[in-house]
Amino acid sequence: MNEFEIFQENGLSQTRRQLFGRAALGLGTASLAQLMGPSLQAATTSEGMHHKATAKRVIYLFMSGGPSQHDMWDYKPKMQGMFGKDLPEYVRDGQRITGMTSRQKTLPVCPSKYKFTRQENNQDGVWVSELLPHTAKVVKDLCVVHTTFTEAINHDPAITYIQTGSQIPGRPSMGSWLSYGLGNVNENLPGYVVMHARSSYAEQSLFGRLWGSGFMPSEHQGVLLRSQGDPVLYLGNPEGVSRSDRRNQLDALSALNYEQHQRLGDPEILSRIKQHEMAYRMQTSVPELMDLSGESDETFKLYGEEARQAGTFSACCLNARRLIERGVRNVQIFHRGWDAHGNLPREHESQCKDIDQACAALIIDLKRKGMLEDTLVVWGGEFGRTAYCQGGLKKENYGRDHHPRCFTTWMAGGGVKPGITYGKTDDFGYNIADADGNPLKPDKEKYTPGTMHIHDLNATILHLLGIDHKKLTYRYQGRDFRLTDIHGHVLKELLA
Amino acid sequence: MRKIAIACLLVGPIWSEEGPDFSTEILPILSNKCFACHGPDAKKDEVRLDSYEGATEDLGGYSAIDSEKPENGELLIRIHDEEDPMPPEDAEKQLTKAERVLLSRWIKSGGKYAEHWAFVKPGIVEGGSIDRLVEAKLNGKGFAPEADRHTLARRVAMVLTGLPPEKGQLEAYVESGDFEELVDQLLGSERFGEHQARYWLDAVRYGDTHGLHLDNKRGIYPYRDWVVKAFNENLPFDDFITWQLAGDLLENPTVAQRVATGYVRMNVSTAEGGAIPAEFQAKNNFDRTENFGTIFLGMTLNCARCHTHKYDPIVHEEYYQLMAFFNSTSESPMDGNKYEYKPVMKAPANAAAWKQWDAYVKKREALKARGEGDFAELVKKLDEEKANLEKEFTTTLVAEELKKKRETKVLRRGEYNEPMGEPVSRGVFEVLNPFPKDAPKNRLGLAQWTTSRENPLVARVLVNRFWQSVFGAGLVRSPEDFGLQGRQPTHPKLLDWLAVDFQESGWDYKGLMKMMVMSKTFRQDSVRRADFQDPENLLLGRGPSYRLDAEVIRDLGLWAGGLLDPTMGGEGVKPFQPGGMWAALSHPGSNTKKYVADKDQRVFRRSLYVYWKRTSPHPMMTLFDAPSREVSCVRRTSGNTPLQSLALFNEPQRVAMAQGVASRLLSEKKNDAERVNQLFQWIACRDASEHERMVCLELLKQAKDAKHDEKSAWSQLAGTVLASDTTILLY
Repeated sequence: MNEFEIFQENGLSQTRRQLFGRAALGLGTASLAQLMGPSLQAATTSEGMHHKATAKRVIYLFMSGGPSQHDMWDYKPKMQGMFGKDLPEYVRDGQRITGMTSRQKTLPVCPSKYKFTRQENNQDGVWVSELLPHTAKVVKDLCVVHTTFTEAINHDPAITYIQTGSQIPGRPSMGSWLSYGLGNVNENLPGYVVMHARSSYAEQSLFGRLWGSGFMPSEHQGVLLRSQGDPVLYLGNPEGVSRSDRRNQLDALSALNYEQHQRLGDPEILSRIKQHEMAYRMQTSVPELMDLSGESDETFKLYGEEARQAGTFSACCLNARRLIERGVRNVQIFHRGWDAHGNLPREHESQCKDIDQACAALIIDLKRKGMLEDTLVVWGGEFGRTAYCQGGLKKENYGRDHHPRCFTTWMAGGGVKPGITYGKTDDFGYNIADADGNPLKPDKEKYTPGTMHIHDLNATILHLLGIDHKKLTYRYQGRDFRLTDIHGHVLKELLA
Repeated sequence: MRKIAIACLLVGPIWSEEGPDFSTEILPILSNKCFACHGPDAKKDEVRLDSYEGATEDLGGYSAIDSEKPENGELLIRIHDEEDPMPPEDAEKQLTKAERVLLSRWIKSGGKYAEHWAFVKPGIVEGGSIDRLVEAKLNGKGFAPEADRHTLARRVAMVLTGLPPEKGQLEAYVESGDFEELVDQLLGSERFGEHQARYWLDAVRYGDTHGLHLDNKRGIYPYRDWVVKAFNENLPFDDFITWQLAGDLLENPTVAQRVATGYVRMNVSTAEGGAIPAEFQAKNNFDRTENFGTIFLGMTLNCARCHTHKYDPIVHEEYYQLMAFFNSTSESPMDGNKYEYKPVMKAPANAAAWKQWDAYVKKREALKARGEGDFAELVKKLDEEKANLEKEFTTTLVAEELKKKRETKVLRRGEYNEPMGEPVSRGVFEVLNPFPKDAPKNRLGLAQWTTSRENPLVARVLVNRFWQSVFGAGLVRSPEDFGLQGRQPTHPKLLDWLAVDFQESGWDYKGLMKMMVMSKTFRQDSVRRADFQDPENLLLGRGPSYRLDAEVIRDLGLWAGGLLDPTMGGEGVKPFQPGGMWAALSHPGSNTKKYVADKDQRVFRRSLYVYWKRTSPHPMMTLFDAPSREVSCVRRTSGNTPLQSLALFNEPQRVAMAQGVASRLLSEKKNDAERVNQLFQWIACRDASEHERMVCLELLKQAKDAKHDEKSAWSQLAGTVLASDTTILLY
């Protein structure tokens, strides 16, 4: 659909401001800009779509499976004395739990086996477990949110919910919303890039819908940067076809397509000629991107030696930095394996080893390059894990079920307040609590201070990128859809 | 701005003498800008603007619309009130100046209401025909000239069968000009059903896997083969609908009638460890109810899942009354990750098996018709035949009704664990036609209601989608939404006339397709016209042109390369796919985590048969805008990306197609000029133009200069032409 058609599609209902926003999206909007006259080109992308953006780009580190806040971020010393005792009924208070533990005879309290240390930040400190020694060193740059919550209690609905704003498939992913809102200012690389990082415990599925474009045009779907075969699907020429052969092919193709354009007068044909040229440029820009030989030893020291191995989380983080250096504004890394129903220590130790140094390295690297201030980094999963044990409980080994009522997410850079924590949970890390430790019952329908529903998280991410989550709409089936559905609240408390 | 204004003027009867037309001009504004607060779901003490009664209600000395003194009405005052405006200053949707003018004119002309056009039964249009009703809107400019025969032959064959015409068909038509004969041949081809089925499979979200969590394999492809067969046999569309909704409830249902109920089972499903059955009982039913709403009613019902619809007159409870029809099927809410997710039946495993089965059934019926007599020998033979055929049958999911109905309750905010009040009875929306008096209150009755001549939506919604498949865009450009927020039909009379005619013809699908492609409207040249601006072709003053769908682009390449395997039906086929695509996202316990490409001819089957894993369909499908089939898709988007370019040139099957074309050209034609012509004959049904020939020969020369042998040089050229817009567009 070209810009004109988009206008036709939405035109009657769109306010001028929305159009203004669309016109400011960067490449591919020239036709609309011309159509609408020069005044509409005044807004530039760096100014943001609806208000001034503090983040020009975003790197989203998504931990699929549900990392355990208990063993990483949410320090609960009082649980130590409760080892193995049944979780008091007043704590659960009738809340639903998954089919995996609902038939368990008891819900034994499961304190973390890991040592927590208080790290200095810009407030009164943040407790971090020994599983994250590197991340612990950068907490002065992090905004740690202990009170993220969701309603979904199983992976498929929960991950679909946090990434698309709905538990039921069919909506565009957050990344495609950003692509739709931010456009692509890059002439050599796609605007929205997705990577899958390797994990030893890669359980739980991912789905194309998590970076798919739902009912939006396919140009907004995430482009997978792969560690196996061609880094971008079908990037390499077939055997025997050289770069100059391809140049000749594309020249011939353009000549044929121009003729077809003259015949039919369809402007989409001209736009397709441009896409063929961008593909040609990608054939050099992507290998250049993937070639790490220019990176210093110091960089590999920072990210860890495994950053040299394609597909590791470290390599993905390094790639993410290289992508945004090259003007890509929307990068997402999926790391699987956090679904520790049993043997949590063994699994989480491995998982944390995968990500810890690289997360810290990314923050440090962005900072030293002066990019952290306008790059938003987000870390988190689709839900947290329970205070009680699933299966047999030992001091040294245990498992935890899914827990949607509270979990930890962190953000950094891009206009987020550095070195703070936000929100408190009760003594069991089970409920979100007020300052005095009394359980709160937050609801997506109404914002409760100190909490962050996943819609609030998404609204805040959009806000930092200059987008009003209530105004970024796409009409489908007669409804103006939003990433945040009819919910979401920007957490002003987190903004620098 | 100028161009847009022209387009609007061309399209619309924007102004009329008596004031704006309520249904097409006023209601959309009220719906979009006012109904969120003042519509069907308004709070108790809010002014209602969704009916004349509401708008004129006495609010204590004043009313929103004052029918006697229009200038005193609150609505008129408030939309111009700078102090206390409506919509309020902080409302996300504000009125435009033009909308204010329209509303004012309407109020001043009396503020009369009328029903939304789509909820009123289509009227009889005397003397209707496609061309007459299209021409009437062309403002005297008339139709574009007819496209040349080569172009037309390609266009009609692509539209009806998804492939170019066979050589003989093309030559005969170019020679004789007998278009109807060509059309009849195409309608009679089995390729027709394959191509037409595709649109239906998008709508019903057909996939070969369960779609959620493990996304395991599911036994359902006999349904897909039945859809193809139904289109090829031109099964009357009302039967086509009835069998799918309720084939199991017909008297002594046939195998085909039961297979068709796979439709009811098409929702995505899960068996995720922690999932709660009651939650998925509800979600599965939402999915079915909303799919029914989209594909038959053209209505988006999901709003009404949580609350009374903000725009369309559907009450919260009515959603659950409709859902109650689907809430008593016998399958477990969890699929157990099983291929045989019960209830299932055994059915013919491919198109050939269906034919054998049908032949057997015919013999059996013939025998029955012979009446009394000793046919023991024959019976025995037939029993054996039956047993042999059944041995080869395969599993397919079907619908079965529970003996005792499940209760359905309204769910607060659509939450499965928050039922409200007493169970609701099965029922349909009050705003539409009443449920037929003598119909059973089950899926069969629902089918009767759906196919009733009184239903204002179904025939319109269907013919609009059929029109879209032929012309590239519907008469209603929002085929998924005929509600108040949907787009107005560009040709309301034509839509109504087609809908009524379709019903009166006995729901004759092939007849309708024939009428569409035979029309002058369809046969026009698709070149943009200098004598009027209409970029979207809203007025239909030129022939269709659009980018072909993913499947058609692939099939056309296979066909040109002489590779296409015409075998029909059976389990989904797996052409080459880059390594690791499934593994990178699959659960280790999934039986679709490893993609093993087929090794034989099957990889060259038509794209319709490509295996459809719903959480990760084949990249050549998704890159070219095919939907995931997790949810209904009645209109594909048409993206334009650099990844498409890479795929067109570099994907291994594309390379094989190019090589296939090269081999054929080298063996079939003697010199380069003839070869270039032949290439264009295949992809464009005509010889190359002078310029095209020059461009191609130049590329060929460059390739040879770069030391490529004859075959490689021709492969490069063929790959280029296959990627060009001459190939991948319909025109």
